[in-house]
Amino acid sequence: MSTPTDTGSETLLDMGVEGDLRRYLRGLGGLAIFLLVWWVGALTTQPSYLVPGPADSARAFIDLFTTSTRIVAPLAGLEFVLPTGLAHLTQTLFHYIPGLLLGAVCGSSLGLAMGWHGVLDDWLRPLVRVLRPIPPLAWVVFAIVWFGIHHTGAAFIVFVGAFWINFYAAYGGVEGVSDDLTDAASTLGVERDLSMLKLVALPSAAPQLLTGFRTSIGRCWMIVVGAELFGAPGVGYEIINAANNLAMDTSVAYMFLISLAFLAMDVGYRLLERRVLAWR
Amino acid sequence: MALSDQSPNAADSGQKIVVDGVSKAYDSVQALSDVSLSVREGEFCCIVGPSGCGKTTLLRTIAGLEDADRGSILVDGDRVTEPGLDRGMVFQEYALFPWRTVRGNIRFGLDRPACDCPDCEQRIRELVDLVGLSEFEDAYPKELSGGMKQRVGIARALAVDPEILLLDEPFGSVDARTRDRLHDELLDIWAETQQTVVFVTHDIDEAVKLADRIVVLDDDPGTVQSTVTVDVDRPRERTSHEFVECVARIRDELGRPTDASQGITKDKYC
Repeated sequence: MSTPTDTGSETLLDMGVEGDLRRYLRGLGGLAIFLLVWWVGALTTQPSYLVPGPADSARAFIDLFTTSTRIVAPLAGLEFVLPTGLAHLTQTLFHYIPGLLLGAVCGSSLGLAMGWHGVLDDWLRPLVRVLRPIPPLAWVVFAIVWFGIHHTGAAFIVFVGAFWINFYAAYGGVEGVSDDLTDAASTLGVERDLSMLKLVALPSAAPQLLTGFRTSIGRCWMIVVGAELFGAPGVGYEIINAANNLAMDTSVAYMFLISLAFLAMDVGYRLLERRVLAWR
Repeated sequence: MALSDQSPNAADSGQKIVVDGVSKAYDSVQALSDVSLSVREGEFCCIVGPSGCGKTTLLRTIAGLEDADRGSILVDGDRVTEPGLDRGMVFQEYALFPWRTVRGNIRFGLDRPACDCPDCEQRIRELVDLVGLSEFEDAYPKELSGGMKQRVGIARALAVDPEILLLDEPFGSVDARTRDRLHDELLDIWAETQQTVVFVTHDIDEAVKLADRIVVLDDDPGTVQSTVTVDVDRPRERTSHEFVECVARIRDELGRPTDASQGITKDKYC
């Protein structure tokens, strides 16, 4: 977020570029060493499925995009054909996205309400204390008996994960609203509690809300894969499905696919966040 | 707001603000103890006193941000129970909305009573010009210096055209040169708007520079030590004899033990 304060001197500038280059090379070096260790490990381990090698994994990764698979969209019932990797990623997104968004909206709404309203806070705080520590994946049993372990059940588990992260972000954000700002607003004619929430608390808590949402993007990827290991369709299911056939290289390919999907979302979200929070 | 002629209290004295026997305690600390004072319409009144003498509490009570434990505050004869657009407030630490630009901050109060004034934009532009921030109207508070932030704070409070302007040590964290400029600007604005101003400060020089009348508060607990009418022509020069005399006079008042001033008149001149 910070901008360099002194780039006027040429030597400093050179050092900056040089420093960047050095860091870049070191990063590449670290990756190269990792690949080497991985490769040697794969070569020297028998049976070979214990550690699938980098080359096999890369081939499996390419296969994800050279073969195609038919998937069905939930609710709409539309069928369509996509490259296999994308098809299963899309299946994951069918429950990841609704679970994440609904969980974020509900969680941050409750967090805002409780952080803002002392009485509501008094009523619900003990309940929150009890429910909060339950790991989202523990709800899988109810996801199964209530919804069946398909898109809805997996979405429910993601929902639980997103809910609490966003809840705490909003709760803390609203609690941190400075009294000076609410005082200033009330001398400027803000009378109703709801107006104060909308005009002061919400924008003031926006950085925490957005950071909370970003955290939930990452956490929900972990949760969604966990839910799919129980049988919901998607990349997580494909990891265990491939492993059941001892096609461990395919499992590795899916693991990298998840990593890429997460990175893409995180980078995209950071860019968005920087624009929304230009005032910080 | 034209209730003043119906109220005996305000009618008697012709006062804009009447503080009547106000006491206020936080936990066990007595911040204000039976404070009474009044401010005339259009008067520039400074409240000085040592840190912790309750001057900020007094100002916040006039603003309606705090409730008095005992006593009452009357503005135009009406009892103050909550903040209102008739009393604009400027805060020590600016209290600008960091997510709003300079324009957005100034606009805040105008949006409140869903201002359908067709000249909102015009008014904002005038205020931005008034406080000399035309080049920074789209800047966010983080990009501004302390002095500029407080200019925005003042413009924001002025936007809704309050009859009373309350300032809580507004220039406490700006450098001395900027402070001098802001004093002149504030006096110009006051001359133009004819508002009633209550200005809290611990800086005696600042009070003598600005005020028609200075209310000296004593700590332990917060009581009115005396009020001093500053009878020095404006613009006031810090180096002038009268100015220096007056500063010494106020300093004297501040140093005097409270009981020494009891029984004698509290209204003084310099």
